[in-house]
Amino acid sequence: MFKKVVWPLVSASALILALVFVFGFVTSIIISGGEADVQTETQTESPENIPEEVMPPDGASDILILGDSIGFGVGDEENLGIGERYLDLLEEDSETDTTITNSSVPGFESSQLADLIESGENRTSIAGAELIILSIGGNDLNRLNLEDNVTLAPAFEEALNIYKEDLTFILSEIRSINPDAQLAIIGLYNPYSEDDPQNARFLLDWNHETRLIVNSDAAFAYIPTYELFTYHLDAYLSPDDFHPNGMGYQVIAETLFRILNYSTN
Amino acid sequence: MDTSVLKVSHLKKLIQKKLIIEDVSFDIQAGEIVGFLGPNGSGKTTTLRMIVGLSTPTSGDVEICGYSLKKEFVKAMSNVGCIIEGPDLYDYMSGYRNLELLASMSKDVTKKDIDEAVALVGMENRIHDKVAVYSMGMKQRIGLAQALIHKPRLLILDEPTNGLDPQGIHEFREIVKNLAREKNISVLISSHLISEVQLMCDRVSIINNGRIIRSASIDDALVTGEVVWTLDDPQKAQLLLKSTFKVEAAIAGHTLRATVDPERLSEINNTLIASGFDITYVEHKKRTLEDLFLSLTDKHTI
Amino acid sequence: MIALVRNEVMKILLKKKMPLIMILLLIFVGLLSYGQNYAYERNIDQFEAESGETAFDWQGLTTQRLDELEERSQNEAIPGEVRASFDREIEQLNYFIENDINPVTPTAAKFNVSFAEQGITLFIPLLIAILAADLVSSEFSRKTIKILLTRAVPRWKVLLSKYIALLIMTTLLVFIIGITTTLVSYLFFQEWGFSEPIVTGFTLFEGTLNSDSTILIPRYQYTLLIYSLVWFVSIIVASITLLISLIVDTSASAIGILMAALIGGQFLQFFLSDWELVKYFFVTNLDLTRYLTGSYQPVEGMSLNFSILILSVWAIGSIAISFIVFNRRDVLV
Ligand SMILES: Nc1ncnc2c1ncn2[C@@H]1O[C@H](COP(=O)(O)OP(=O)(O)O)[C@@H](O)[C@H]1O
Ligand SMILES: [Mg+2]
Repeated sequence: MFKKVVWPLVSASALILALVFVFGFVTSIIISGGEADVQTETQTESPENIPEEVMPPDGASDILILGDSIGFGVGDEENLGIGERYLDLLEEDSETDTTITNSSVPGFESSQLADLIESGENRTSIAGAELIILSIGGNDLNRLNLEDNVTLAPAFEEALNIYKEDLTFILSEIRSINPDAQLAIIGLYNPYSEDDPQNARFLLDWNHETRLIVNSDAAFAYIPTYELFTYHLDAYLSPDDFHPNGMGYQVIAETLFRILNYSTN
Repeated sequence: MDTSVLKVSHLKKLIQKKLIIEDVSFDIQAGEIVGFLGPNGSGKTTTLRMIVGLSTPTSGDVEICGYSLKKEFVKAMSNVGCIIEGPDLYDYMSGYRNLELLASMSKDVTKKDIDEAVALVGMENRIHDKVAVYSMGMKQRIGLAQALIHKPRLLILDEPTNGLDPQGIHEFREIVKNLAREKNISVLISSHLISEVQLMCDRVSIINNGRIIRSASIDDALVTGEVVWTLDDPQKAQLLLKSTFKVEAAIAGHTLRATVDPERLSEINNTLIASGFDITYVEHKKRTLEDLFLSLTDKHTI
Repeated sequence: MIALVRNEVMKILLKKKMPLIMILLLIFVGLLSYGQNYAYERNIDQFEAESGETAFDWQGLTTQRLDELEERSQNEAIPGEVRASFDREIEQLNYFIENDINPVTPTAAKFNVSFAEQGITLFIPLLIAILAADLVSSEFSRKTIKILLTRAVPRWKVLLSKYIALLIMTTLLVFIIGITTTLVSYLFFQEWGFSEPIVTGFTLFEGTLNSDSTILIPRYQYTLLIYSLVWFVSIIVASITLLISLIVDTSASAIGILMAALIGGQFLQFFLSDWELVKYFFVTNLDLTRYLTGSYQPVEGMSLNFSILILSVWAIGSIAISFIVFNRRDVLV
C-alpha cells in the first residue's frame, strides 16, 4: 500500500511542487530586482541618483538633506521625499545634473543633529553643498506628548530653549564650513489638528522661534508647512497619521521650489 | 591467504579520556561459534560496537572477510548481521515492515529472503503486529531475523539471551547452533553467563577490564592437567611416579593426584600397570568454566 | 538511494507527525479567519451606524480616490515614474469597480498571503521543526540508529536520505499550508478573490523602497510568489533544524532550541537593530515576504538578495556541519 500508492504520490507531487516553487522563487527574485541591478539602471537614466558612497572623490552633492524622518521621507509611498520631488520640479525648468545626499536619520532630535554636525562626519558634504535642507525639531516637540498637564509647560520651555541653542549651533557650524550655501528649514505642521488647542499654541511658538533664528542669516529660508497642512490633513498625511504622504511631500517640495526659485523664472 | 571471517587486531578505545578497551585481538573462522565472556562492564559491548562500525577505534583494525572496516565499510558490513545491546526496532511499525525497511538497505534481498528469515525465527504468526506489542522474546527473534535477512557470513550477538525466559533461551540457542552448523555462519556471542558460553560455543575469549585474558577452545580452556588415580597402593605408586617420571603426587585416601602433561598420561598408565598396580579408575580432572573464569578475573581486578 | 529516501518518508508518515501538524494548522487557521471575518463585519456595522447609511458605500469611497488619483496623474508637474505608479493604482481600483468587488472584503486569496506573511517568522518554522526535529534524534532516543548504521550503507547516504525525505515533506507541508488556509478561509469569507490585481515588485534603492518598478499581477500569481518564498524559508529552517536535531538527543530539546533562536532573534532585532551583526543572523532574514509586499522599513544593506544569500549560507553551513558530525559520531546508545 505504501510502496504502491503513497510513495509514488508523495514523491511525484513533491517533485512537481518543488519545480513550481523554484519557478516562483526565481520570479520573486527577478521582480524584486537586485539592489545592484536597479542602481546601474537608474544610474544611466538619472545620474543625480548616485549615492554618496559611489560619488567621485572630488566632492559632495549639490543638495544635502539633514535631519529627521521628514527629511528622510518616511511615509512617502513613492519614497522620493522632499529632495527628489524638489529635484523633479527643478528639472522641469531646466536640465540639471544636480545630485542629492540624504543624511537624515528618522527619529533625530535637534541635539542629535548638532552632535552629528559637530562630529565632522558630514563636513565634506556640507562643504560641497549648494543647498542644505534641514528638517529638525519635530521629535523634540513630539517627545513632550509624554508629559502630563502639570509638567507640560515647563517641559516645553526647556525643550524649546535646548532646540534654539542647538539650531543656532547647527547654523553657525554649517556657516563655518560653508558660508555660501543656501539653507532651508522645513517648518512644523500639526498632525493632530483638532486634538488640543494648547498643542497648536506650542507649535506656533516653536515655529516662531525657528523663524527668528532663520531670519538671522541672509541665505536661510523658512519653509512653512503649518498652513499648508491644517485643512488637508486627510489628504496629506500617510496612514500613520503623523508623517506626510507622497502628496504631502509634494506640496512641501513645491513650496520649497516656489520660495527658492520662482524669482529666477 | 587469511581465511578468518573476523580478524580483530589491537583494538583500543578511549572514551572521555578513559581507557575502556586496551589491546583486544582475536579472530573467528568460518562456521565457528565464539563466546566473548566477561563480567558486566568489562568492555564487551564497547568492543562489539567497534567491530560493527558504530564507534571508531582509537587505534587498531577490524577486518571482516578480508575487508578492512575502515577502508571498505560497505563491503565489510555486507557480511555482518548484528544485535548490539538489545533488539531495538521501530516500534511504530509491524515486525514485517521493520524487516522490509532494513532489507531495502542491502542489495539483492528478496521478499523470499525475508519470509525465510521470519520462518527461521518462528515468527510467522505475529509478524504483522506492531513491534510495540511484542514480548521481549519476540523482539529478540525479530532482532535475529533482521540480522539474517541479508545472509551475512558473520553474526554478532551482544548478550542475546538477556531478558529471555529459560524456554526462550533454549530455543534461541538451538536456532543459533543450527545456523552455524547448517549455513556455515560464524557467530560471535558476548555473554556474562558462563553456562551459556559452555553450552553454545566452540571457542571462548575471556575479557576483563578491557583486556583479553584468555583465548582458547572450550576443551583446552577447561583441561587443568590434573589426573586422579584410584588404585590399591597409593604410597608405592607415589614413589614410582617420583623416581621414574619426576612427578610429585599427593595422596588422599585411596587416590593419588598429580599434574601431568596429557601427552605423557598413557605412558605413565602403562608403566603403572606393568608394575602390577591394580588401577580401578583414572580421571582427567576438568575444572568448571566458572572456576577458570573466577581464577582469571580475580587476578586481574585492580 | 531511492529506497533509503522512501524508507525515511515512510518513517515520517508512520510517526503520525502530519496529523498533529494538520490539527495545529486547522485550529490556528480556523480561529484566525473566523476572527478576521468577525472584525470585518463589525467594522462595516460600525461604519454604517456612524454614517447613518444603510450600506457601506465602498463604491463612493473608491470612486473618490480614483478621481483624486486621475487628477493628480494629469498634473504636468508630477514626474513620469510617479505618474506610472498612480496609473497602476488607478488600474487596480478600476478593476474593483468594474467587477463590483469591495477592495477591503476579506478573501481567501488575501488570507492565505497574510497568513504566510505573519507565519513565516514563527508559526511555519514551528511546524517545520515538528517535522524535522526528531528526524535524527529519535533514531538515537529509540536506539534504532544501531540497526540503521550497521547496514552496508555509508553513513553519509543515510543522512542524505533523511535530508531528502525532509525536503520532500517540507515541500508538501508548504503546499498543505497554502491549501488549508485558502479552503478554511473560503468557508468563512465565501470569496476567492484570486483574480484581483495587486501591486508588487518594490525595489530597494539607496536604502529606501522604490515603487517605480512595481507591476500589477493577479492575486493567484502573487500567492504563488509568496508561497515560493515560504518554501525557501521552510527549507532553510528544515536544514538548520536537522543540524540541531543531530546535536541534541531528544526532539523536545531540538524544538526548544529552534524556538529559542527564533524568538531570541526577534528580540535581538527589536532591541539591537543598530548592531551591524544582527542582520547576519538567520532569524532576522526569515521574513522574505515583506520584500514583495513593500510594507517595511528598509534596514541599511538588507534586500531580498541579501537575505536569500545569508539564509543560504546558514543552511549550507548547517548541512555541511551535519554531515561532518554525523560521519564522525560514535554511537554509544
Ligand atoms: N558512553 C560511555 N561513556 C563512558 N563510559 C562508557 C560508555 N559506555 C560504556 N562505558 C564504560 O565502558 C566500560 C565497558 O562497558 P561495556 O562495553 O558496556 O561493558 P559490557 O558490555 O561488557 O557490560 C564500562 O566501564 C562503562 O562504564
Ligand atoms: Mg554490554
